[in-house]
Amino acid sequence: MTTSAEPDWGHSGELEDVSGEIAIVGVGDAIYQRASGKSANEIALDAIERAIADAGLRPDEIDGLMQSPFMGGGFTADTYRDYFGTGQSIWMSTDGGAMTWAATAPVAAAQAIREGKARHILNLFAVDWFSQKGKGGEGPGKYHGEERMKANFELPFGWFPQPVYFATIARRHMFEYGTRPEDLGAIAVACRYHATRHPDAITRQRPLDLAGYLARPMMVDPLRMDDCCLISDGGGATIMTSLERARDLAKPPVVVAGVGEGYSGSGAYWSQQGDFTASPQVFSAPRAFEQAGVTPGDVDVLTLYDPFSIVALMQIEDMGFCPKGGAGDLVADGKLHFDTPGLAYNTHGGLLSHAYVLGISHVNEVVRQLRGEAACQVSDCEIGVYGGYTGHMASTLVMRRDR
Amino acid sequence: MSTAPLPERGGSLTEPFWQAAEEGRFVMPRCSGCARYVWYPEEACPHCGENEIPWVPVSGRGQLFSWAEVKHELYPAYEDTLPYVTGIVTLEEDARVRYVTRIVDADPAALAIDQPMQVVFRTLAFKGVDGEVVAPVFRPSAGAAPGKVDE
Ligand SMILES: [Zn+2]
Repeated sequence: MTTSAEPDWGHSGELEDVSGEIAIVGVGDAIYQRASGKSANEIALDAIERAIADAGLRPDEIDGLMQSPFMGGGFTADTYRDYFGTGQSIWMSTDGGAMTWAATAPVAAAQAIREGKARHILNLFAVDWFSQKGKGGEGPGKYHGEERMKANFELPFGWFPQPVYFATIARRHMFEYGTRPEDLGAIAVACRYHATRHPDAITRQRPLDLAGYLARPMMVDPLRMDDCCLISDGGGATIMTSLERARDLAKPPVVVAGVGEGYSGSGAYWSQQGDFTASPQVFSAPRAFEQAGVTPGDVDVLTLYDPFSIVALMQIEDMGFCPKGGAGDLVADGKLHFDTPGLAYNTHGGLLSHAYVLGISHVNEVVRQLRGEAACQVSDCEIGVYGGYTGHMASTLVMRRDR
Repeated sequence: MSTAPLPERGGSLTEPFWQAAEEGRFVMPRCSGCARYVWYPEEACPHCGENEIPWVPVSGRGQLFSWAEVKHELYPAYEDTLPYVTGIVTLEEDARVRYVTRIVDADPAALAIDQPMQVVFRTLAFKGVDGEVVAPVFRPSAGAAPGKVDE
């Protein structure tokens, strides 16, 4: 853990402590190797169908749906009922989705379950960006280009889109902490190591070692191609219910043990963040670990929202897995690989090598690890963590096996 | 029709910057209450709440905070300028002010963090976008040893 006082460039969120109240009981992913030709809703339904089957529930037993506060909201209760031919009433929430919300959705879900608004709540996220790209769609970049200060004081200078922000951050991190290209490479290689052993992963047939990583062309120097996430179609769904109810269902419950949320004071202006080479995990992770009664050293598997290798490296430091600037040692020599002593990291391949589904599959992967069902199974896996990120926010979800 | 990545002209918080640039002046908003620079511009000073934040000339000297060399097309309008260097320069007047800028007239391999930089005005135009804009961009200071501020 960091020893310094909480810095002043951001703050923690005020989430209610719901630790031990609810569990994850069903997970489903829908990953496509190339353009699926499906809409985001159709992809979401594929994932939902799998999650419901995984939980051993019937479609008419789902009475809560959570999705992202942005990016459409085009998935309605009727979308669900029409597809499954059911007629139940469904509690709807926009406190869910992927990115940071994949970690914080359990808080709103626990509250809804406690208040009797729903019993089995499904959090979902899906994108059709690969298919949209083929149709001239704009993908993730457009959400940033429309912001006024970026439009005036960043875009004219070529400081856009995201790979440029994170290359600039990476170079400064290298200067401040001595981080090397090999350290970023270790993260990319670990993701690929797992992806090549994972049936769903988009890069499963494209192995990558450190020498291969270093030989790859720069995308935005100092970031190489393999430091940057994929663009793909895909989605995921995660079903939550009370811990009590979870114990009656098909799979061993995975308990929500702690949730944290942190904010950067500079919003979405990466250039202006007080600590340029840190993530708001500084403000998020400590509270989640405290709620769960564990420390980073207790964690058996870690998945991180990883649009770029440097984002993962900073989160590893900012969550307290090592002192700030010390991630290089922690990630070296295969120590992030599931079958090597160390910190098993993004054991499905992450955004870098599994698919660009923005973190919901990261949560689902931790669930599978804690059940003992993962493709790259970590032995004796009891505590798992997902770290979410959006730039102006970070979040932390600590999960554990049911005792 | 968007003119991005040219700046949107006419905004009350941003137009003074571009107007000054057209006249060859590099200006920054500085709070008349607490004398801190307010970057990016805001209606009220985040440090003291003051609403009077005039644009004042700055020296155009600074230090290279960090940079990236874009080698791959990520955004169609930048295609003609590839490869290019973009990054952040901190101002000599107050190193807390981070100015995002193009880095011009530089060999990327010779750049070093914290090296002295100097403003220079360039006309920016983009593929497939009508119009152009004069913008303050930065180049390495002439004749300066790395790590020393160019006087
Ligand atoms: Zn002030």
